[in-house]
Amino acid sequence: MTLATTEPAARERAMPMPRRRGLLQRIWHHRHDYLYVLPAIGVMLLVIAYPVYYTVYLSFFSTPPNLALEDKIFVGLKNYGTVLTAESVHEATWNTWVWTIWSTFFAFVIGFGAALALNRAFLGRGLLRGTLLVPYVISAVAASYIWRWIYHSDFGVIGALSVQFGLTERPINFLDDRNNVMASLIVVNVWKEFPFAMIMMLAGLQTVPEQLLRAAQVDGANALQRFWHVTLPHVKGVTLVTVLLLLVTNLNSFTIPWIMTGGGPAGASEIWITHIYQIAFGRIRFGLASAYSVILFIVMMGLGYFYVRALTSGDERTPA
Amino acid sequence: MTKSKDKGPFASPVDRRPFMAMTAGAAAAAGLSGKAYAQGSRTGVDPTKWTPEYIKSIAGTENPDTAAECYKVVPKDYKGRLTYWYFGPTQASPQIEHDIDKQFWEAFKALYPNIQVTALNLNYNEMIDKLRTSAIGKAAPMVVRLPILAGVEFAAKNQLMEFGPEMVGHSPQDFWPGALKSVTWKGKTYGVPTNNETMALVWNAGLFKDAGLDPESPPKTWDDLVAYSKQIKEKTGKSGYGMVARVNAGNTPFRFMPQLWAYGGGALDEAEANPTYKSIFVNNEGSRRALQASYDMYVRDKSVPVSALTNTQNENQDPFISGNLGMMIAHPSEYAVMLDRAKKATGDDKKTAEAVVANMRYGLVPAGPARRAIVFGGSNAHVFRPDLVDGGLDVNAAKAIIAFATGPEWSTKMAWVSSNPGNVRGFRTKWMKERIETIKFLDVTTSMLPNGIPFPVVPQATEIMNIIVPNMLQNVLTQKMTVAQASDDAAKKIKELLSEL
Repeated sequence: MTLATTEPAARERAMPMPRRRGLLQRIWHHRHDYLYVLPAIGVMLLVIAYPVYYTVYLSFFSTPPNLALEDKIFVGLKNYGTVLTAESVHEATWNTWVWTIWSTFFAFVIGFGAALALNRAFLGRGLLRGTLLVPYVISAVAASYIWRWIYHSDFGVIGALSVQFGLTERPINFLDDRNNVMASLIVVNVWKEFPFAMIMMLAGLQTVPEQLLRAAQVDGANALQRFWHVTLPHVKGVTLVTVLLLLVTNLNSFTIPWIMTGGGPAGASEIWITHIYQIAFGRIRFGLASAYSVILFIVMMGLGYFYVRALTSGDERTPA
Repeated sequence: MTKSKDKGPFASPVDRRPFMAMTAGAAAAAGLSGKAYAQGSRTGVDPTKWTPEYIKSIAGTENPDTAAECYKVVPKDYKGRLTYWYFGPTQASPQIEHDIDKQFWEAFKALYPNIQVTALNLNYNEMIDKLRTSAIGKAAPMVVRLPILAGVEFAAKNQLMEFGPEMVGHSPQDFWPGALKSVTWKGKTYGVPTNNETMALVWNAGLFKDAGLDPESPPKTWDDLVAYSKQIKEKTGKSGYGMVARVNAGNTPFRFMPQLWAYGGGALDEAEANPTYKSIFVNNEGSRRALQASYDMYVRDKSVPVSALTNTQNENQDPFISGNLGMMIAHPSEYAVMLDRAKKATGDDKKTAEAVVANMRYGLVPAGPARRAIVFGGSNAHVFRPDLVDGGLDVNAAKAIIAFATGPEWSTKMAWVSSNPGNVRGFRTKWMKERIETIKFLDVTTSMLPNGIPFPVVPQATEIMNIIVPNMLQNVLTQKMTVAQASDDAAKKIKELLSEL
């Protein structure tokens, strides 16, 4: 992306920049191209735009459990007020940030570390790479059930071992304790997600030009300096994309917390999506859940904006 | 038409061993108090009449002709299509339930060969969510067999057809009044009861003995149960009582509400003689005492499984069969489950499991200062409105399956080890006689029927029972809130919920 040849860039600087066309003009200019993607746009409107529209529409209505959806009551912005002021939402928001930030941080750090290790040639590298990918390819549902039993507060393997080796008097209470549950779930999530970061970063590391690293070595840079001044700048883009994808994935998490704890105990592992699901399908408040979803959608759009910027950075400098 | 197969479940007893000490059930049922009589008025189960002796005396006195009864409703050659959702046997169910389920569908096929059936067996905890979504999406099944708690919500939303026992050739007198109340909304009937049951207390007499308790005497009161649980934990290191406190799981209210009612509490006034469902009882003195009892077991004595907050009843089965759990509230089918598990165990595990099965006892659920209580549970068959059904409603096919499933024969067989026939004529059949003779402890759970209390018949019942009450319990057990705070918090939520009406 930063390897654009200097010649056109210099030419660009020398010439006056042409006035950028407006959006409609550009669409008209490329109208034939748009015809090719029209079917795809149609499908997207149906499966993405309409649900988004309907969710926004529904967010202005109350849907009590004794009324059919067609009998919903218009309440304006009341649902948004309810969501923003509810104590349970505040708790879920705090849990969501704890879940998202720590899951993203550890998944990325461990994934990047594994990628750095696997980027070097050594005996059994292929086997290790395959093994490390196992958590990623296992179904999240199956993994959640397995971990639920591993963690089980009475008969879990970890608890049994900790008692057997005299580390604890009683099995450790992972999932039924408000203080431990979130950390326990984050461990499972990181275990499941770090291979994704590993693959992404490994791909990024393999684009770092070998000659630059050698040149730096010849210039006397030690391993840390080479990593800091050569490797890191080269994987900056893929790092940004990976972190953003992890953030979005974690903000949208559902399977692991839902299956392992259902958001409990006493709401200690309730995160946005499980809370929305509970409100919509457990409590049948589709209007309230829609308002909650719209707020989450706005947060996601913010992250999406940075994601697209990260993906397209440099494209705008490419001559049309 | 449903002649028993030689090796089918109806010909092969679950257990023919002589009834053991046979529990406090029969004796206690004979001595039911006036309180139980008052409770009987809520379910319509007259405790002075429906004694184990009476049930034994009427069993086998009627021989219904299921085919003839069904053909009066829908002719044999009727050609149609049926979509049917139900919560049938799961992996945790005993084999006998799977066998009966299979036979049910074979028998229906034989009865109505031209009705194409698409049946979906859903998990109890998934059923309601999926049904809500499908009804909104106009993709509901024609007929659904729903937990007793849930039907009123769909009726209140005007999603169900008016449909009563008369439409399938039965008389309303064939069903318990309490069960009919659960299918009634604003004076109209929206379903037919398929089965009704009450659970009992199950205990491991061997573990009682090891703990220095009388192996043949279950705790008489909930306070006793708390003390027994503590003693079992202290003397044996094993969990005393199989508490279940998971949110959004049907098992939780079925085990906690009896405790709440026994102490004089409730969610609303459902345990009172003439419930209005307008008064909130969840933060009264009785409810707080019940919560305190749970707190004492979980936090103070640590005498129940730590995993109670994430457990359903299924997760109590393994600790029980391995001799690590002293008491639990369960269906009569739990005995069949334990027999199955003992058969599958190997080596030392098998010996332990067989010992537990031999030491398994059933008794009445403990009483409290206010009453002895248990959930009057079961399920009902409902028909969805034609415009909400994918492909439209075939009324005759719906009538055929409901006439068949709620008749005396199949309402008895489908409730074989886990429940009681919704159609009380089922109690008079030869299949009931076979059940009584072959299923251990059946009469104990039947003895609990007069103590049954139906869940509130309000559209919000599912949220109250599956979310608000379990959350209240979790708030106390995790010490997030005090007993008073948690009960007040629950009362506030219920009040808000009811005010939405």
